Amino acid sequence: MDFDALINGLDRHTLDGITRGSIYALVALGYTMVYGVMKLINFAHSEVFMVGTWTVLGVYTVLGAEAGAGLGMVIGATLLALIAAMLASAGTALAVERIAYRPLRKKGAPPLIFLITGIGCSIVLVETFGQVLSAFFGPPFGRVTVNVPSVLETKVVFTIPGLDLPVTNTRLLIIIGAIVMMVALDTFVNKSRLGRGVRAVAQDPDTASLMGVNQDRVIMLVFVLGGAMAGVAALLFTIQYDITKFDIGFIIGIKAFTAAVLGGIGNLRGALVGGLLLGVVEVYASQVWDSSWTDVTAFIVLVLVLMFRPTGLLGESLGKARA
Amino acid sequence: MSQLLDSYRGLQLGNRWDRAPKWVRSVGLLLVVAFAFYLPFLNILPFAYIRTDLNPTGSDWASVLFLIVVYMIVAVGLNVVIGFAGLLDLGYVGFYALGAYSVALFGSPSSPVVESLQSRFGLADDWAVPFAMCIPIAIAMSLTAGVILGAPTLRLRGDYLAIVTLGFGEIIRITARNLDPITGGAAGITQVPVPPGPEIDGRSFFNTIDAERWYWLALVILIIIIWLARRLEHSRVGRAWLAIREDEDAAAVMGVAGFKFKLWAFAIGASVGGLAGLLFGSKQQYVEPNAFMLNLSFLFVAMVVIGGSGNIVGVLVGAFLLTYLPERFRELQEWRPFAFGVALVLVMVLRPQGLVPSRRRAREFEDRRHEAEEAAADV
Amino acid sequence: MIRSSKTWQAAAIAAAAGLVLSACGTTDTDGGGGGDASGEDCNFKIGAMGALSGANASIVIPSVDGAELALDQWDNDECDVTLERFDTEGDPAKATPVATQIAGDETFIGVIGGAFSGETRATKTIYQDGGVPMISQSATATDLTQDEPVEVFHRLVPYDDYQGAAIAKYLTDEAGAKKVFVVDNSEAYGEPLADRVEETLGDAMVQRDKTQVGQTDFAPTISKMESAEPDAIFYGGYIAEAAPLLKQIRDAGIDVPFVGGDGLYGADFGNAVGPAGEGAIVMCPCAPIEEDSTFAADFEDKFGNAPGAYAAEGFDAMNVFLAALDDGARTREEVLDFVNSYEGDGLSKQIAFDENGDVPKENVSYWAYKNTDGKLTPEVEVKPEG
Repeated sequence: MDFDALINGLDRHTLDGITRGSIYALVALGYTMVYGVMKLINFAHSEVFMVGTWTVLGVYTVLGAEAGAGLGMVIGATLLALIAAMLASAGTALAVERIAYRPLRKKGAPPLIFLITGIGCSIVLVETFGQVLSAFFGPPFGRVTVNVPSVLETKVVFTIPGLDLPVTNTRLLIIIGAIVMMVALDTFVNKSRLGRGVRAVAQDPDTASLMGVNQDRVIMLVFVLGGAMAGVAALLFTIQYDITKFDIGFIIGIKAFTAAVLGGIGNLRGALVGGLLLGVVEVYASQVWDSSWTDVTAFIVLVLVLMFRPTGLLGESLGKARA
Repeated sequence: MSQLLDSYRGLQLGNRWDRAPKWVRSVGLLLVVAFAFYLPFLNILPFAYIRTDLNPTGSDWASVLFLIVVYMIVAVGLNVVIGFAGLLDLGYVGFYALGAYSVALFGSPSSPVVESLQSRFGLADDWAVPFAMCIPIAIAMSLTAGVILGAPTLRLRGDYLAIVTLGFGEIIRITARNLDPITGGAAGITQVPVPPGPEIDGRSFFNTIDAERWYWLALVILIIIIWLARRLEHSRVGRAWLAIREDEDAAAVMGVAGFKFKLWAFAIGASVGGLAGLLFGSKQQYVEPNAFMLNLSFLFVAMVVIGGSGNIVGVLVGAFLLTYLPERFRELQEWRPFAFGVALVLVMVLRPQGLVPSRRRAREFEDRRHEAEEAAADV
Repeated sequence: MIRSSKTWQAAAIAAAAGLVLSACGTTDTDGGGGGDASGEDCNFKIGAMGALSGANASIVIPSVDGAELALDQWDNDECDVTLERFDTEGDPAKATPVATQIAGDETFIGVIGGAFSGETRATKTIYQDGGVPMISQSATATDLTQDEPVEVFHRLVPYDDYQGAAIAKYLTDEAGAKKVFVVDNSEAYGEPLADRVEETLGDAMVQRDKTQVGQTDFAPTISKMESAEPDAIFYGGYIAEAAPLLKQIRDAGIDVPFVGGDGLYGADFGNAVGPAGEGAIVMCPCAPIEEDSTFAADFEDKFGNAPGAYAAEGFDAMNVFLAALDDGARTREEVLDFVNSYEGDGLSKQIAFDENGDVPKENVSYWAYKNTDGKLTPEVEVKPEG
């Protein structure tokens, strides 16, 4: 138990935790939106993220983007990868909804069935990248870790005065990206007409359809939005960690789902709070003990939070009426 | 596929079985059980195509049968939690692991716990807790774990329970992996004891080659567990679970203490899981944390749901199919997980009530489907 | 009474049909197809047990391919030997039925494997019960031969205690490090290896940290490294975590030598680490193939890519079994006796087995491979003392 290591670098560890947590938060947005509207845990969302990372790799490969490219290439490639990842992830999420969840909704299946179907979709997607595509195309598909070119090179952008803490461009991008995306999504849900439809379906699907809201369209929108968020997370992930592999979604998915529950599943701001908190808890635990105990610590924190606030830190709110 | 299975419903097997006189039912059950015991020796074509070791690169048939039965025990136990009580448990592998680790930690002469007991009490180097004592220890440990997990968390709503149980399963595995001085760490524990038996051919009765004996032992335990589960289902406790599953608030109004019965379900499910884990660890004679990963929890839930949650026969079918098919079709090699995922999605989308749903569950599905169709028609 | 007699009639017909069909014959499933193991017939199978699919297959498949190459190049008109591959995914639970199958089938006269230590640990008693000789090409856990040795188990690689000592020697002598930061992946392979490196380094180790399999963000470890300011880093684990770890280390501006154990010795290492991995060192108890040997060319001809991890060891393991058959061994006991007393020149090393099944220390060499341009090229040989 090394509390000194934690206290000495508290600022540094908090920054590390917020960076890690921002990725969790972005993926958690997908889980939380789908849950808020449909009351269902979408286990295939982790693979939506994974597809996004592979799309980024694909864009970089097609453009021939490498580390050390010129500024124009960097910006162009990154933007293009961002848009492509968002589209691919949203598309995958939509496909899962149409193929797997919609028939079940039409049959009125209970939530447990959706869960198992989601797990099945997740396995299919994982195996598509791990097995099917590698059988057809060979490397880099398959079950190995793949390098994603580090187009945006890590550089220290500025140092926080007083704390003497260097902040790199990638970290800054991730944290700001997560916050911006959450604010955008929150604004969309609360202020726009389509967002009102989302909130209506989350609150009471039958009354909403009586009021003229097309439930199917809203659900499709929710999946698309959640998928797009995962696509952003995928790009930021590849910027920071420079790798991807066929099952990269699995662990990120579990952690993001934990973060969503921690913050209050169904609550968009809760996803951000939960994600950042989870990332910080993990990094702190890695300092006090070591990284082999992070998951245990995270889950114990989750249980403690749920014992005192059974619906998460910020509670469920997507379906709550706003004045 | 639903039409196919529905047409077989015209046969009304369930109803005919219930209406048949007692002697017909007893003889039928006896035949099924006898056939099950005979399975390792099934040699007659074309029935023998069911075996997994027909080509040299297959798996040993009796070992596969053993694993099927162990997973059937798991499925019956998990069915109590998910099917009877309606609780979503995504961490069942934790109880399974506890059962295996109990027999390993206390029964193996090379486990750290036993070694510290040996030095503390000055016992011989090959002393360990006898196998018969390990069984109640395993059941007690899993039951306690079930209670510890359930007490703070069963008040949570269903989906929150899911993530917490998932976390619990992971906590068990990670703790087993990290606590080297107690659990042997990632390397695991070897020399896990086997059930006592007469020595034949210089080898103990339950050895690693004659897997049929393990299979028969597991089969006996499975039959006992099924019998107990049926008694539970038709008892006061089973009816309380049914009430809680249908509508917890109405049940509370009628005087059914939801929390107490849910905790019972958890504890009973945990004990059965621990027993299955004990069998598994004992046959393999080696226990390590990587055998208890999260995916196994998902597989267990899939067995229950695909088979038909709430129906004991259904979950037995689910456990059988999900364990047997990947072994039988080993030729598919790396395509097996992909085929598994596709099969999972197809079965769930085409037959969400499960392959062999309980009659109550089938009626529930019909009702829900009608509601959904009417709701869609209104829009 | 069941009302409809039609049901009973249908059941009776089905039963009769079943009995008629059963006259079609039986399968010969006991012993898996009558090979008479003792006698003039020389019709045998050798099993290869390991992770042929899954994330770590890249460390196993080359060795099984090497064994197949040896079989191809074998010249013996009397004998007909086939290599049967069994995929265990490296999982002990999946390896046990495979081992039971092999042990119960008399036509299997030897096993090349297990490839990983966990599955070997779970199955060596099964093979011992069946008397099946084992030669492992890559199972390096120390306890397999030191704690509970079984007569049938042999291996062509030294155990992790020695590898750990060799790695420590490389760090202190070749890399000249005095403050080594040791990291492991908390698994059955990486942790004991790192333990042994720590033990041998003694004061030369500055800090020890643990990570997990599946981890992608190593920021806590990086910050510990930045405080400790090591002059070398050792990682015990697999490629999947080593790649992001190394990239994050280089991103943080830490330029000290990065050394890994044989878990990183795979064909995909160079690709996974990318440009950040230039100059990384991977230690392996596998000697580079002699320049004058045709092995590499033959391997490439047959399988389409250069020999990978432990290919030479797999080649040698198969050749030992085939030499036993050449020598006239026709039963498992005879093959076991032959293997126990075997001494010969193998592709990877001088082969002989001591009473525990290990190759004598003098015959083993450790090599440090440097990742240059995405390929692992041999750099220097290390000989640990003792």
